[in-house]
Amino acid sequence: MLNNMLGDLHLYLRLIGMQLRAQMQYKVNLLIDIVTYFLITGLEFAAIMLLFGPFPSILGWSIGEVAFLYSLTSMSFGLAELFGAGIDAFDITIRRGEFDRVLLRPVGALTQVIGSDFRLRRFGRLTQGLLAFGIALKLLPGLTWTPLKLVLMPIGIVSGAVVFTAILLLGATLCFWTVETTELTNILTYGGREMLSYPLSIYNSGLQRFFLFVIPLAFCSYIPVCYLLGRGLPFGLPGGLAFASPLVALVFALASGAIWRFGVNHYQSTGS
Amino acid sequence: METMIEAEQLSKTFRVARRRPGLFGGIRSVVDPEVRRVEAVRDLSLHVERGEMVSLVGPNGAGKSTTIKMLTGILVPTSGHIRVAGLVPMQQRRTLASRIGVVFGQRTQLWWDLPLIDSLRLLRHLYRVPEEQHSANLALLGSMLELDEFIDTPVRQLSLGQRMRGDLAAALLHDPELLYLDEPTIGLDVVAKARIREFLLSINAEKGVTVLLTTHDMDDVEMLCPRMVIIDHGRKLYDGTVAAIRERFGGERTLIAVLDPAEISAMSHDSEGQPILDDLPYGVRQLRAESPRIWLSFGRDALPAHELVAWLGARHRLRDVTFQEPEIEDVIRRIYEEGLLLPETLANNPPFNLEHKIVYWTMTI
Repeated sequence: MLNNMLGDLHLYLRLIGMQLRAQMQYKVNLLIDIVTYFLITGLEFAAIMLLFGPFPSILGWSIGEVAFLYSLTSMSFGLAELFGAGIDAFDITIRRGEFDRVLLRPVGALTQVIGSDFRLRRFGRLTQGLLAFGIALKLLPGLTWTPLKLVLMPIGIVSGAVVFTAILLLGATLCFWTVETTELTNILTYGGREMLSYPLSIYNSGLQRFFLFVIPLAFCSYIPVCYLLGRGLPFGLPGGLAFASPLVALVFALASGAIWRFGVNHYQSTGS
Repeated sequence: METMIEAEQLSKTFRVARRRPGLFGGIRSVVDPEVRRVEAVRDLSLHVERGEMVSLVGPNGAGKSTTIKMLTGILVPTSGHIRVAGLVPMQQRRTLASRIGVVFGQRTQLWWDLPLIDSLRLLRHLYRVPEEQHSANLALLGSMLELDEFIDTPVRQLSLGQRMRGDLAAALLHDPELLYLDEPTIGLDVVAKARIREFLLSINAEKGVTVLLTTHDMDDVEMLCPRMVIIDHGRKLYDGTVAAIRERFGGERTLIAVLDPAEISAMSHDSEGQPILDDLPYGVRQLRAESPRIWLSFGRDALPAHELVAWLGARHRLRDVTFQEPEIEDVIRRIYEEGLLLPETLANNPPFNLEHKIVYWTMTI
């Protein structure tokens, strides 16, 4: 089983390698795309800063803290968009009938789908996240760092990326039945991304619970950030819970994977 | 010889939701869909031995692609049993995938933006082929398909013929036992088609690869496959040789008589000044005439060819006589259009000689 997983990983790396080589064939395009995406995401960040700027604080969050939250979620999303690009484009794969070819290969469907795309241009968002992080640090001169916090930060970013990728996978699984990406999927992906860029406390408690316990996007972005900023967690939850974020991400990812497998088997029985 | 494909009473019914027209129709379709059942394949049985080359022929929408998808494990049949290479496709899809090769004529499996060689190299990992075996196959297929001239060119820059050769190589790199080809020669020029056919015959001879080929091109069928299976409306209508079907439904042959010019003036003429033959025997009719040639069509059962020649020779001076066999395409077209092989038609028009009766009987088992 482990051998299989290593084999799949190897294959994934090779598939990505093919993607990278293919995209590098169009270097100018790539450069323009990266710069453009950086500018677009940069504008999103600027918009948030302008929104929060005039006020000393909103619901207790200063502009530096908002920038901090935004930059970390941006990095999570950037990673997910980079690695999950194949899943994101799954509706095109289904519509073009290319999924048949995936089923004709002796390799797992998910490995092939994830490996089918790796959008280098999504680097723009990661870069924006890093820049925003720099700005946030400047705006938060009083932020203290402990070894625990330094460990939690990358863990939190990666957990957030895993949850977001799992959400993309749920959206892709829906394509087996609906063929094109539904608005429901867009609500969870784009909508979720927008919502989680702001402090969770501005939303009503029902929505907060949803993004903490149902689709645990906030568990892997907002909660670690609260810990890092030394703020209290929503609903009075203990601060140490922030370290449970990778576990939560893993559980959610496994659930998402199980639903995907169900979708693959169902595709076989009804055809397209 | 062992059996490669064993399909028994395959059926596939799709449930298709009908979209209601109009503004609110779309909403109603989601809430209360009107589902109709489409029987894409009905009670189809097929046996193919290892090493055979079989063609699957039928009009568009006949159920050929659906059948192939069921044989490869992409679709699960509504009923029936399949075993391919001893495996059950829907249960052992991935294992089966490493033993078969599939080429879709209209969709490539190659990476579009990269040179052909990159795709061929990556496939080694996708199919987990040992290095030595892969290199050997690559060399062999490269020389048989003459890939060297374009192996470093990005696939998007290849011509259709080159891309098809690339796809064939890609499908055979892992030494599959069975090769499915879906319209492999579609859109190719005459030379390219000939090369592909030659290649398929060689690979079948050298490696014993079983080939199942879907095609609309009757030349493919005649040159490659001694055995032809006709599918229409989801049912298998015919499973046999091309020659047999031509004989059975060929119906009429054509005799082209070149008359002596002196004869022509003595004959009656039609409104356009072309000669007409009078008093033709029963079952013979004149198709057209372009002096000094006359085309006569005669049914196989009307009178034997030599008798017709004798009859002509007795009445007119002939310079030359040639025969034209019915075009297999016309035969197939008639089968599609007139439903000649559908059970209903056969029931109303039972064949009348013993040989045909046997064929008819075996088909209705």
